[in-house]
Amino acid sequence: MASSLLRTLIPFDIYGGMKLTGKYFGKVLLQSNRGTKRTHIVVEYPETPVTLMPRYRGRLQMIKDEQGEIKCVCCLACEKICPTQVITIEKGKKEGRKTPYPTRYDFEMERCIFCEFCVESCGFDSIILNHQFELAAYNREDFSHGTEGVFQNMYDLTPVGHYSVASEE
Amino acid sequence: MMPTLTQYLVISLLQIVVVLGFVMTLVPLLTFAERKVIAYVQVRLGATRVAGGLWGAQQGRLHQSRTVTGGLNGLMWFLGRVPVFSILRGLPMFIADALKLLTKEDIVPASADKAVFVLSPALALVAAFTVFAAISFAPGALFVFPKAVPFLGGLPFNGFLTDLNVGLLFILGIASVGVYGIVLGAWASNSKYPLLGGLRSAAQIVSYEVPLTLSLLVPVVLTGSLNFNEMSTRMATDVPANGMVAIGRTLIMFVGFFVYTTCGFAETNRTPFDLAEAETELVAGFHTEYTGMKFSFFFLAEYSSMITVSALASAFFLGGHHLLPFGIQGFVHLSGWWGGPHIIFFLFKIFTLLFVFLWVRATLPRYRYDQLMNVGWKFLIPYTLIMFVIAALLRYAA
Amino acid sequence: MFKTEEMEINLGPQHPSTHGVLRVKLHLDGETVTRCVPMIGYLHRGVEKICEDKTFFQGQVWTDRTDYVAAISNNLGWVEGVEKLFGITTPRRAHYIRTMLTELNRITSHLLWLGTHALDIGAMTVFLYAFREREEVLSIFEAFCGARLTTTAFRIGGLREDIPPGFEKQVRAFQARFLDCIEEYETLLTENRIWKKRTIGVAPLNAEDAIALGVTGPVLRAAGSSYDIRKAFPYAAYAEMDFDVPTQTAGDTYARYLVRLAEMRQSHRIVNQCLDGLPEGPVMAKLPKVLKSEVNEVYHAIEAPKGELGYYFIGEKGSQSPYRMHIRAPSFINLQALPKMTEGRLLADVIAAIGTLDVVLGEVDR
Ligand code: SF4
Ligand code: SF4
Repeated sequence: MASSLLRTLIPFDIYGGMKLTGKYFGKVLLQSNRGTKRTHIVVEYPETPVTLMPRYRGRLQMIKDEQGEIKCVCCLACEKICPTQVITIEKGKKEGRKTPYPTRYDFEMERCIFCEFCVESCGFDSIILNHQFELAAYNREDFSHGTEGVFQNMYDLTPVGHYSVASEE
Repeated sequence: MMPTLTQYLVISLLQIVVVLGFVMTLVPLLTFAERKVIAYVQVRLGATRVAGGLWGAQQGRLHQSRTVTGGLNGLMWFLGRVPVFSILRGLPMFIADALKLLTKEDIVPASADKAVFVLSPALALVAAFTVFAAISFAPGALFVFPKAVPFLGGLPFNGFLTDLNVGLLFILGIASVGVYGIVLGAWASNSKYPLLGGLRSAAQIVSYEVPLTLSLLVPVVLTGSLNFNEMSTRMATDVPANGMVAIGRTLIMFVGFFVYTTCGFAETNRTPFDLAEAETELVAGFHTEYTGMKFSFFFLAEYSSMITVSALASAFFLGGHHLLPFGIQGFVHLSGWWGGPHIIFFLFKIFTLLFVFLWVRATLPRYRYDQLMNVGWKFLIPYTLIMFVIAALLRYAA
Repeated sequence: MFKTEEMEINLGPQHPSTHGVLRVKLHLDGETVTRCVPMIGYLHRGVEKICEDKTFFQGQVWTDRTDYVAAISNNLGWVEGVEKLFGITTPRRAHYIRTMLTELNRITSHLLWLGTHALDIGAMTVFLYAFREREEVLSIFEAFCGARLTTTAFRIGGLREDIPPGFEKQVRAFQARFLDCIEEYETLLTENRIWKKRTIGVAPLNAEDAIALGVTGPVLRAAGSSYDIRKAFPYAAYAEMDFDVPTQTAGDTYARYLVRLAEMRQSHRIVNQCLDGLPEGPVMAKLPKVLKSEVNEVYHAIEAPKGELGYYFIGEKGSQSPYRMHIRAPSFINLQALPKMTEGRLLADVIAAIGTLDVVLGEVDR
């Protein structure tokens, strides 16, 4: 009884919480924001680069072999597996190449859900999800250009800095 | 040398400008401090930069762009390496905030009662600012105008606007007008969430005024004065001859201070009593429908009443212009500069209390409406009454 | 004379604390709620219908997006349901990894609940502390499968890839400090008088009503029942794990808070056991090239962070997609308890009740 009354009158519980928050305030205050030892959890993007895990699933990209040829042989496995049907492939031929060549490989990024099923299904390792995550654009068309488009060119990284606020280094 | 009426008026005007200027800059700074303190408590950083315009943003290196804001951002980026001073990063944000509020579109809801809707923020603000007329920042003259100054040469510039001998009464009276601003604004919005918020805050402010006043009466009874300057001086110099009484005085002041601060939190609608604007329940409470300047009036009023509450606490409990709180100065004789009354001590106490306001906001959950009433009526009022009786007995004993 | 009217107020769908797009129609008498009607459907995407159109393999990505806070649990429910339908046996190592990730996911889900619930009640700092740890677990997910939120973590028959190098170290680093972090939340909340006042006795639901309403998960366990599918019908590797099912009897908001905190501690225990006892071996079963279902019905339930999450499949002969798929979404069913918990109480309690039910609108509306 007496102890409960005492606990009501003197707010030990509140003191404990205040001590904890005060501790964190002091810690963050006494360290510099950009020092090596940090208590705070802020990554000052874009000045500070973001670290991504090796398996990060970013934008779909086609990869080329040593000769600079794209590896895709138009087996259409990726088109079939894609849950949101964002890949459209047109089979074609290219001179001096035995295997089929995609004359069109459209990838409508605005509907892609970055599930990596396409990469998984590709038996020729010709596509990957790269580590690019700054994918905003002003126009819808900018997302859906496949082999031709400039901004979402399937062969290269999106020209960073055009839309993103990240630095190029 | 007695000033003539015109001289008196000119000096008063200057004082008003200084005090209002002080409050008006302190409030945006306080909002900035609030962002920073809460951010630091929550292990994040808060504002660290100001946007560098479209160009700066497009370049992606805010701290390197060659604009004014770019230069500021560069400075702030550098500050990020300096412990403690890192907290000043993002400081220009307070100007940006103020500018944003000034330039926001001002919307009056179609179904609102226009006149009342427009008037009530002004009412809240006027009430919140008028109380500074009675607050004394320093007991005497801050400085004396040098002889070279035309017209005012040789006259003192006081640290207070008026030396009211009913200062406390005046403050309590004016401050309670502020609630009308809230209630009328809420009612005039003709919307449901503001209505609930307004009702809550009316009930809250009315019921917490009682324990607030009662707890303030403790130092009043102990010193026998309602005047700011006198209160502070008597606390520091009048020591009860009886040692036990002196210790009792300090103790009761100490307890009274906490009760007062609790009520002060409720009076200013701050966490844990911020029911009127409990954003998770009532969206934004009474000012849901307010935008732009009108909203910022309420904002200014709330923050300046925080300053008022802190000023009252420092004047009445924490020793006012003297260094040591709770009348401890009576036993511990400080000599020289430390012993005297200074505006620095007073401001330091205000700032510390303001920090506590922010700190508490970051830590505590909020009460429910009925629980708030219970705390007020069933706990704080009896508590303060008992304190009041003890204070009266102490006074009698002394 | 005076006429008094009840005020009808719309809490949501755009309201800071309805956790998404829930709309609650409230009739208020003063601040007392006389009637409370949750209105749902603002986030309806027809997931169940879409899945009829997709293969079993593809359908998994939609489960990420029902309860997006606990995507891995949903993935687990889906893949295990499909495995049950086709009679696929998954390697033991895959089970262990799945169990570990699902428990980590329970931690993230509960952390998000804790943060938002505390924020609703006004304690803003717990939110950031909870998110600090949640962020760390999300990085673990990112290391494992490349995504943080919509994970699509598992595959029918096992896992796509084994755990990456350095993964165990990352998890252990998190495990090492997590218990201290729970202590921190407790310092801020458990004993705090305001928190207690706001939660003890608020939005009560006794076991009888909870069972009658179909409520499961921590809400049910806080009312005294110890029904936990991990114990009752063990799946994945839970049969080999040693853990307790925390229960409380009060059935109020505070009891649910305690149950969830205790569950986080148990999850921590399970993750440790998974790491210690991780068996060697393959992570993927041999699958036929195309899955073909005979007509067959399967209901598979798992203990998701929010309650019993069930996937119900009807296969179709010769088809690679389900003929019908139904999700027993715990959020949806738990939300039914809201009127029962709030009618006759105060407006502020509605907020606490929505928070304590831990609904995710993506799952309610599907
Ligand atoms: S990542 Fe998924 S959604 Fe995107 S293209 Fe590949 S399969 Fe389609
Ligand atoms: S699966 Fe690979 S090889 Fe086949 S079409 Fe797609 S990208 Fe080309």
